Amino acid sequence: MPEACYLAPILLADGLFYIDKLATLLAAVISIAVVLYTTFHRASRERFRMREIAGLKSVDDAIGRATETARPVLFTPGWGGDIQRPTTIASMNILSQVAERTAQYGSRLVYPTHDPVIMAVAQEVAGESYARVGHPDRFRPEDIMYVTSSQFGYAAAVDGLITRLRPAAVFLLGTFEAESLILAETGNTVGAIQIAGTDSTIQLAFFIVACDYTLIGEELFAASGYLSQDRSIIASVRAQDILKVIIAIVVVVAVIWSTVLAATRSTAPAWWKF
Amino acid sequence: MNVETRHYAFLGLFVCVGLVMVIGLRPGVPVTADTQRMFAYIDSLPGGSTLMVSFDHEASSLPEIQPLALALLRHAFSKGHKLVGVAFLAEGTVIGYRLMQKAAAEYGRKYGQDYVYLGFRPQHVAAILTMAESVREAFPQDYLGHDYNEIECLRTVDSLGDVAAVISIADGSTTTYWMEYGQSPERLLVLAVVTAAMVTTYDPYLASGQMHAMVGGLRGAAEYERLINRSGGGERGMLAQSAAHFYVIAMIVVGNVVYFKARRKRAAS
Amino acid sequence: MGRTFAVGICFVFGVLMFVQYFSPHPAARTVHRTVSEYWQIIFAFGLLIGVVAVLRSNLRQLRWGSDRPYRLVTLCGLAAMPILALVWGRGIDSPFMWMFENVQAPMQSTVFALLAFFVVSASVRGFRARSVPAAILLVSALLILLSRSALGSAVLPQLSDTAEWIRNTPSMSARRAILIGIGLGSLTTSLRVILGIEQTWLGRRS
Repeated sequence: MPEACYLAPILLADGLFYIDKLATLLAAVISIAVVLYTTFHRASRERFRMREIAGLKSVDDAIGRATETARPVLFTPGWGGDIQRPTTIASMNILSQVAERTAQYGSRLVYPTHDPVIMAVAQEVAGESYARVGHPDRFRPEDIMYVTSSQFGYAAAVDGLITRLRPAAVFLLGTFEAESLILAETGNTVGAIQIAGTDSTIQLAFFIVACDYTLIGEELFAASGYLSQDRSIIASVRAQDILKVIIAIVVVVAVIWSTVLAATRSTAPAWWKF
Repeated sequence: MNVETRHYAFLGLFVCVGLVMVIGLRPGVPVTADTQRMFAYIDSLPGGSTLMVSFDHEASSLPEIQPLALALLRHAFSKGHKLVGVAFLAEGTVIGYRLMQKAAAEYGRKYGQDYVYLGFRPQHVAAILTMAESVREAFPQDYLGHDYNEIECLRTVDSLGDVAAVISIADGSTTTYWMEYGQSPERLLVLAVVTAAMVTTYDPYLASGQMHAMVGGLRGAAEYERLINRSGGGERGMLAQSAAHFYVIAMIVVGNVVYFKARRKRAAS
Repeated sequence: MGRTFAVGICFVFGVLMFVQYFSPHPAARTVHRTVSEYWQIIFAFGLLIGVVAVLRSNLRQLRWGSDRPYRLVTLCGLAAMPILALVWGRGIDSPFMWMFENVQAPMQSTVFALLAFFVVSASVRGFRARSVPAAILLVSALLILLSRSALGSAVLPQLSDTAEWIRNTPSMSARRAILIGIGLGSLTTSLRVILGIEQTWLGRRS
């Protein structure tokens, strides 16, 4: 417990607050404030340009290729996450955009998943996308399927789908675990264009090697804003940039301070140690 | 079926690993500091200390987890420690029980007296929080249906504070929950036994001291087997793994040689 | 009306779970435990939807005649395990456990083992010294691979330290930077969901 924390006696009196988590709370409050500012403040919603992301530029090309070759598009959100995970929500946003394009071009969209709730939400999302562009008749809910909750059962099922259907474009966007390279390599063997993105740094390495385009880190969360130009998503991307600058400043200050303390052989004040 | 170049590469891997396993070399593996730290901790505990072992893994990682888990369990049983097994992933449940049973039998340890297996509890976060206050409330019965109060080795275990440490045997991120909900509020000592792929994920926790020790992968298993002076699946697995590594290195070198030759030919023409 | 209600529930529970994270008070712990347990119940009902979906999809495909062998295997597996569990129980030596230990677990390990073969093909394709950064990546990968093998460390003792340095310094720095980006992305996405700005997950507007 930090010795110089004057709030400690008050906050701990009723056992209401983990004093160790004070820094986390402060960081959370600042982050929430920044997100609210960029989302709701009119001046901050002026035109904000996102840099080009190679993988997203080729979404249209990939789906166009699928249409030309009369092969389906396969989109899967990975085994590692369920619906409450932000990566899955981001993946759903991208699915919405991909479904719009497959509806417009008349390509088949196949979406295998390991979670029945994700299946239900994906059916709604894709159905709405098809309806939005005026092609509700082209939507095939049976192509959005739950396969199994078992990790390698899911991997085997998706591999089987890729091998038999030979999709022209494969989207691997979501939370993946060990099955990532199995899926990516199988997609590679059928000659599909593969666009991947995940929040797992371990699986990112596999995707970078095996896929044509990989969305790294927050590019996955920015992707749906990039494709749809949705103002709220773009505002979130701007908030992320502001927070990154704040973190960078804190890191630089901390490094300088720690270096000075080490050089002068002083000890850091108690409140600094969180 | 068209046979492609990569199929020959796959066949080469199969032959390479198969040959090495048939020949049966026994490479010595130097022990790293991380494994030594884990060994030293379990060795230093007074005999009869209670350790909780959490089987947080799935069936698919059994070939890698089994040698690791058995080495740790054998060490713990050889020191006379009491083990309380739990599982937070359904697939790890029966596997955990079998591993404890196997290791215990080798050292003549009795179920109920020297070890107990409490079984599976879904919602690991809720389970850890409940066990922090009362293990009995989280597991009123053990895996075999015996009442908590009837089990001899649980008489001194009311909450997580009564165990010396928890050993999380994991192939995923479940160990993170032990650290967030066990180590952080309850100051529970967390030891991790993980697959090689998860080692880099938990490195920051080890570096910051939130995790006391970590052993990972087949290499970790081979090192631990060397420390307890007992050969097992770790050494054999390490042999196969090493052969596969050398094969991959050779294929990378060959791939680069072919690439540079082709590049030179293109530049010349 | 329905969407507003769903967004309202999302907001209330989002704020509740945020607040309980910072409090050691027994009430906060009770909230967390209760919500987690109810989530588990919802998840179980979700699985029921999944089972029905799998049955419907496979029966339909079976009638149409596409991939019949695979459909039959799926349906047999789907039926066999519950029947075994209901008739003979799920005890440690029951047929259900035997099927799990001798059929399901080895099958899962087998598919996992495919990864080794795919690593070979991915490595040959991916680790080519096309440029200076690619060459650095190649050398680092070779050093790490050698250090994790039995013979590598025995032949060159400094290999472990070098590999350790690569893992703990440049690799971890890059990973932490990516994790910060992912963390921020997760934060903003979660906030948008809790505040009701993000409503994709609610599906179709009626």
